[in-house]
Amino acid sequence: MNQIFSHPLTDTAIQRRAQVFTILEEICQELEWTQTQFEKARTSYEAVADWLAGSSDPMLASLHVYLHGSGALGTSIKPIGRDEFDVDLISFILGLGPEIAPALLKAAIGKRLREHAYYASILEEKKRCWRLNYAGDFHLDISPTIANPNCMNGGELVPDRKLRDWHATNPRAYRTLFDERAALVPQMTQSIIAAQRDAATTEPFPVRQSVKGILRRTVQLLKRHRDLEFLHVQEEIAPISIIITTLAMRSYEMCVRRHVFADELQVLIDTIRLMPVFIERPLVNGRQIYAVWNETTEGENFAERWNEEPARVEAFYKWHSKALADFESLRDLVGLDAIVGSMKDSLGDKLVARTMNRRMDALNEGRKTGALVLGAGVGLTTQKSAASTPVPRNEFFGD
Amino acid sequence: MAGSTTRNRLTLPQQYLFLQKSKTVAGEGVLGPRRLEWHFHAQPTPLSRTYQVTLVLERDGTPDVRVVDPDLRLLAGERDLPHIYHDPDRLCLYLPGTGQWDASKRLDLTIIPWTHLWLIYFEEWLATDEWKGGGKHPGEDDPNEGNRALRRSLQRQR
Repeated sequence: MNQIFSHPLTDTAIQRRAQVFTILEEICQELEWTQTQFEKARTSYEAVADWLAGSSDPMLASLHVYLHGSGALGTSIKPIGRDEFDVDLISFILGLGPEIAPALLKAAIGKRLREHAYYASILEEKKRCWRLNYAGDFHLDISPTIANPNCMNGGELVPDRKLRDWHATNPRAYRTLFDERAALVPQMTQSIIAAQRDAATTEPFPVRQSVKGILRRTVQLLKRHRDLEFLHVQEEIAPISIIITTLAMRSYEMCVRRHVFADELQVLIDTIRLMPVFIERPLVNGRQIYAVWNETTEGENFAERWNEEPARVEAFYKWHSKALADFESLRDLVGLDAIVGSMKDSLGDKLVARTMNRRMDALNEGRKTGALVLGAGVGLTTQKSAASTPVPRNEFFGD
Repeated sequence: MAGSTTRNRLTLPQQYLFLQKSKTVAGEGVLGPRRLEWHFHAQPTPLSRTYQVTLVLERDGTPDVRVVDPDLRLLAGERDLPHIYHDPDRLCLYLPGTGQWDASKRLDLTIIPWTHLWLIYFEEWLATDEWKGGGKHPGEDDPNEGNRALRRSLQRQR
């Protein structure tokens, strides 16, 4: 995996791989919330937070509402076939101990939400949380938590699935850890190769620095790949986002700390490849279990259900090999049609078509305005260089 | 008008020299007394294949552009190739009779960039079945007066 010891890439391959990554980046932008959607969601959840804070119930006397999950991590994606985003909120209630029944606390939150006529009309009860459905836009899932007195790391407790017990969690520390890892910048060999090139004839193709960093893009792409892969699977066996996110962030950190990469695409691929390394198999009560630990608190195993439902284990490994193979093949394909075809298969027809149409629109715009040039070694581009020729106006003809 | 075109007409050796000196696309060719042949590789974007292309210009003729490799018909499968002159297959890069190309225009600044442009739309067409590069098809009647010139040169081309 350490590219330094393999053959250096040709200029053509460097440019092709950079372009593939740029398209993946554009696909992620297509998948994300628009600024308007984001603002709308924020206004709504701030209003909900204020409403909850105004409760006269002494149980809810001191609470703090914050964003967690993919919205907080910057890894949200649009669900397939729906325009609604999930927005996950924690309602952290201070001053309560684990002796309080989870069901009681959840009920208190529900009661307060029902006191508001509009919230009452869009409220839906879920197993562990309350959902406010802002139809067509997003839904807010509000989970109550309390402080975890046994966690040295400022962790919290959230109701378990049966609302009978408290379950260790630590969304705030998880977010901090994820942000720290996402901020790690991989070391690239590409600059070395570029320096060896003949600067007079080759203008390096502009590589757009990933706006959000490679880790966030990796998580978004993997979640999208998962959504598509399990779109028609009836059973609930798809790998959950928190497992994908946790394995990806640990793998990304290991890759970036230990290796030098040819380019961003290789970081993405190697991060995916090494994800399973972080699935642990500890012996618990004489039984070898699966564990994907939350590193920020004691005792939260994101893969808990794998131990009761083995189909989830198989589903994960199968999906993971497919994802790895799909992104590896993207790295090596030549021909726009071949690359687009492969992306459509693994990330979705419409999504990829929308992204490619934008690119073609940009090309046609460049043609119209005269900004399009043919550059030496780079082909058609709107980036002018010393050795480039403007593309004059023409109309294609013939059958 | 016709006179000025004649005066500015580039000779085959002039065209050949411009092609040889092009900083954008390297190639090699053969120059004869009545015929210029130029071979070059076109890769329209870093994602695209590299196409081996032959450009032929005969004295007083119009440029013929053929993709030698890979085989466009093989890539297209069952589909009919878009914007092509047939027998043999040549790329239709400009509207004849409109002055987009005439003998006063340098091949390296027109035909060669348009070949790249054609190829980018071709690969996009392979992926989507849609030709996004615009253009005209023979028989699409254009109400403006350039039409007669167009039909005339069409007869020459086909």
